[in-house]
Amino acid sequence: MIASANSQRHKDAVIIGGGIAGLQSALDLADQGYKVAVVERQASIGGRMISLSKVYPTLDCASCITTPKMSAAAHHENIELLTYTEVNSITPGPEGHTLVVTHKPTYVNADKCIGCRLCEYACDTEYPDVFEQGLGSVRAISVAFTNAIPQKAVLDADYCLACGLCLRACPTDAIEFDQQPRQESIHADVVIVASGFQLNALTIKPQYGAAHNQNFISPLALERLLAPHGPYGRVLRPSDGKIPDSIAFVQCAGSRDQTIGVPYCSRVCCMYAIKQAMLLSGSLPTADITIYYMDIRAFGKGYEQFYQNAKAMGINFVRGKVSKIDSAGQDDLLVHVELTEEPQDCVRKQRHDMVVLAQGMIPQWNPTGFSPVRIGSDGFVATPDPISPCSTNVPGIFVAGTAAGPKDIVDSIAEAGAAAMEAARYLSMRAMPGHSPRTVALEMMA
Amino acid sequence: MESMKQETVQDSAIPHTPRVGVYICRCGGNISDVVDTDHVAEICRLIPGVAVSKVHTFMCSDPGQQTISDDIRQEKLDRVVVASCSPFLHELTFRGAVMRSKMNPYLYEHVNIREQCSWAHKHDPRGATAKAIQLISAAVGKLSHSTPLEKIRLPNHRRAMVVGGGPAGMKVAADLAACGIPVVLVERSDRLGGKLPILNRLFPNGQAATELAAKLESQVLSNPKIEVLLKSEVTTVSGFIGNFEVAIHGDFGPSGHATDIHTTVGVIVMATGFKPYVPTDGEFNFKRHPAVVTTVDFNALLSKQKGDARTFQFDGRCIRSIAFIHCVGSRQVDGVHTPAVDGRINTYCSRVCCTTVLNQALQVRQRFPDTRVYDLHQDIRTYGRGHEEYYTDASRAGVVFYRYHGQEPPEVTNTNGPTSPLRISVKDYLSWGEELEIEADMVVLAVGMTPGPCETLVDQLKLPRGEDRFLQEIHPKLRPVEISVNGVLLAGTSQAPMNIQETLAAAGAAAVKARAMFTTEEVELNPYVAEVDAHLCEGSGACLTQCEYDGALAMVEILQDGHTVRKAHVNAGLCVGCGACVAVCPTQAINVSGWRIDQYDAMVDGLVRDLTPTTI
Repeated sequence: MIASANSQRHKDAVIIGGGIAGLQSALDLADQGYKVAVVERQASIGGRMISLSKVYPTLDCASCITTPKMSAAAHHENIELLTYTEVNSITPGPEGHTLVVTHKPTYVNADKCIGCRLCEYACDTEYPDVFEQGLGSVRAISVAFTNAIPQKAVLDADYCLACGLCLRACPTDAIEFDQQPRQESIHADVVIVASGFQLNALTIKPQYGAAHNQNFISPLALERLLAPHGPYGRVLRPSDGKIPDSIAFVQCAGSRDQTIGVPYCSRVCCMYAIKQAMLLSGSLPTADITIYYMDIRAFGKGYEQFYQNAKAMGINFVRGKVSKIDSAGQDDLLVHVELTEEPQDCVRKQRHDMVVLAQGMIPQWNPTGFSPVRIGSDGFVATPDPISPCSTNVPGIFVAGTAAGPKDIVDSIAEAGAAAMEAARYLSMRAMPGHSPRTVALEMMA
Repeated sequence: MESMKQETVQDSAIPHTPRVGVYICRCGGNISDVVDTDHVAEICRLIPGVAVSKVHTFMCSDPGQQTISDDIRQEKLDRVVVASCSPFLHELTFRGAVMRSKMNPYLYEHVNIREQCSWAHKHDPRGATAKAIQLISAAVGKLSHSTPLEKIRLPNHRRAMVVGGGPAGMKVAADLAACGIPVVLVERSDRLGGKLPILNRLFPNGQAATELAAKLESQVLSNPKIEVLLKSEVTTVSGFIGNFEVAIHGDFGPSGHATDIHTTVGVIVMATGFKPYVPTDGEFNFKRHPAVVTTVDFNALLSKQKGDARTFQFDGRCIRSIAFIHCVGSRQVDGVHTPAVDGRINTYCSRVCCTTVLNQALQVRQRFPDTRVYDLHQDIRTYGRGHEEYYTDASRAGVVFYRYHGQEPPEVTNTNGPTSPLRISVKDYLSWGEELEIEADMVVLAVGMTPGPCETLVDQLKLPRGEDRFLQEIHPKLRPVEISVNGVLLAGTSQAPMNIQETLAAAGAAAVKARAMFTTEEVELNPYVAEVDAHLCEGSGACLTQCEYDGALAMVEILQDGHTVRKAHVNAGLCVGCGACVAVCPTQAINVSGWRIDQYDAMVDGLVRDLTPTTI
């Protein structure tokens, strides 16, 4: 049962998504004095970035860049974080937008929870940890991850056996098994959609038929393997814990491929593969690391030099399209590749201990049906006005980061600033006498 | 042990015994994989004055910061040291954390045990650990001599100067003015628009560049908050955030004659743009054969094509084939490409040229079906939304692709005079490294971007440039549009190559930062500036001879005990706290707040403090 929407709060801006783009937009708007709410469907803000190991081209640890922004948002007097909350609908009206959101039950009273994790330690039900890409396990009640914000426990009803261990362990009586989803309606003058991306499935290409092999992994899983605080604390291949000796990156495995309906470039895969290859060669100095690619797209500031450094480090760049990936025995993988740069031996079969598949970026959220926001043919939010690259088809609704197409962190952050500016411009024009959303929209498009 | 007791006696001699909290960050392994952080915490407890010494996986995370806040309250801490990464990354984070707990932010010290210990001494864990302890000990020593400081507050001039009237500059000006902030827009040429008009049809939507330029221009010209100064240049600039004094020279006098304007602005936005790379004489036969042109020239040629000819026209001739060569002036290889006058080569990728070429190639194939098109590239970098389609469409439209390696660039030779075809030899890696020869009537060089002119501001404000000569932001993710000079922001291609959408987004990001700077009536500056002890100052003026910052120091005459005396006086806004004056003062009357000589002495004492662990 869902409690009725009886309260309506007002915010100058609501940001959908608490990833790096959403947080940057929120901070930029809040710094100008606007009241902002960030709606995040996960238990913690931080998005995809907080789960990464290090980030290119500076090789800063991702946490070192993300946590201060997360913390700044959490402490900002103008920002309210609504975590574990889903957006049900966005309805534009003459006086701004109405958002209906559902606060999902965490089964923990957030006011009482002190984040001590005693419930987590007491719980004896474990299931694969989504944050660790399934490589580690997590208790049925837990704080999302070490540096999560907020530091509040969340109980996963799908796995909880209702044994009551947590109830007895909690020093503040915060566990509430009878919590219900709670709906709320928020009124906002502007909305910024920063709902991010997901990766298409490892199984998307039938030719890459090794998806059941545990050593055929997602790049996000490799990020966790490389993270110093990751599931194993070092790089081991998942199936048998062997230190991998030969690792392959298969590029464009879910993008630039019309057969799977993703004709576009996912824009980040070349660079993260190079970065991961560099990090791997740091932790496994004797391993053979190969990147199978079509074009290396190192286009950003400092990226080409990063690529050249990787080549100088001895990472093996092989140009060619991988046609097939099979399992070779229990654990190894066999990559079939057609080479274009070598005269002899045009088709090669190569055995690898572990294969990382550059899955394509696809949108996380489709606003169709929930809001009048239109999407492009690629499924990402459409941005019809070339002069303000963050505007959607709806006046007062803007878009930032990967919700508007694949892009890396640097570009997402720049765009998030731009979206905040568009929103601020809209808000300050609306504040002038005699302006309605419609006249503002017309003026902005003029 | 004896020496430590002595230290304790010495430290307690200062009136108030500080209670210092020491926090050591593991940085998720970045530090603790090398430095024995638990051991560091244990040893630091021995330092006199340290009340709390703790380790955390991520000090900068919320739980990490919360630990500090809780301890300030519960353990009555009045000074805090965090030993983590570079202060460049997180000094402000932790200052904010202690401020929220009502502690003076200048009683906080940041120690860098990542870059300076774990990263620098990766192969010497014992040494790295010992060094971390010493550095923390020095910081604790310094803090025992620290006094609470207040930020310097100065008036904030609510006005922005945007340098450059291209798309980035126009966008910043329009955004700020729409929020009510007055802007002076300085443009060197006689019109707004920058390089936009040379772009012809923009990717990815095929819009005419002139149309976009006209829209932006009308937003700028219709807003009375924007003062547009054409044919003008900034001649001098000085000052600091909130208070930049600028002189602009231009033909904007009442009857159009040259005049200087002096004005004060709070923020300067560098929208100084790019210059297309100009190939050297003879590079791919450029300037030796009239039909070797750049992509910039080719845009103009495309827009001048008339009639419904099925073949591209140039110099009254039918061009039956065009070869585009990518990466001209970009991705250059040491030892292969000739360095420019300044001895540099452009190793960077210019980001926009691949899609530019395919956009042009496709237009040729669509409008002039009898003109063949060859494309010689290293990698096709059509990364953006809607860009890959140009590649696919160009392939479908019959563009023939060749791939070369950066260290084996194609060669262009003139066969027989200015109207004869050019011969291109290329080692092609789409056909397994075969050496091929192509004949083309025209060669188009996809020229990259180089930084636009902005020397005056760079020199006078001491703005940093990167290895690629573009203006260098503080950090690409943490502070992407800020530069190390406070109050100066970067917009668009002054920072790095970008396409038009990226430029407009970057301009928006700069505008939002500029606007945030104007939310307060006053600007707040760090108090690390020189301070004069009027009792000790004998007016020698030695400090003045060393000061490199105009107006930061002056000798003033003041009345002291009925006599007029000369004393040094500091302008806090202009002083950068370099300390050059401190070194020469004969009476030690001048010091830098927060970095006084007695604090340095205490740091040295801290560095040599006998805490050497018996075992690590």
